[in-house]
Amino acid sequence: QQQNVENARNLIHKINTSCFEKCVSKPGSDLSQVEEKCIRYCLTKYLSAWNKVSAIYIARIKSDPSSN
Amino acid sequence: MDPSSLSLSNFDEKDKKEIQQFIQNEQQKAKFQENVHSLTAICWTRCIAGNKLTGPQIDATEATCLDNCVNRFIDTQKAVISQVEKMGAH
Repeated sequence: QQQNVENARNLIHKINTSCFEKCVSKPGSDLSQVEEKCIRYCLTKYLSAWNKVSAIYIARIKSDPSSN
Repeated sequence: MDPSSLSLSNFDEKDKKEIQQFIQNEQQKAKFQENVHSLTAICWTRCIAGNKLTGPQIDATEATCLDNCVNRFIDTQKAVISQVEKMGAH
């Protein structure tokens, strides 16, 4: 359980960093609608990437156990 | 519950084994998560960060890139280990 919370926290932090980097290049006094949309897309995309990487990693370990 | 009753010495061999196995499994799971986090961060930068963000989906090129990235990273790890081992053999 604690692991799951830690995991989620980790993930959120990484998403924050990556998507701020990607979407907010000129910080203004507010987040614009463009920036908010970008963040939405970025967040979804990062989560998908995480899932894909997880699957790829599992498949690799299965086919090549020495890689763990 | 009295904390002093939680020491492993109070469990019989079978239970101790089970608990140790459980701890090992949890540690493996934690390590796995850690690795996925690192790989995702690295491969996000390589494969997706520089691209134009037109939508929430990962396209086919990006998906292929992720696959290559993860596998080449692991290949790199293995190459580094085997080369370091060779160095150590001298």
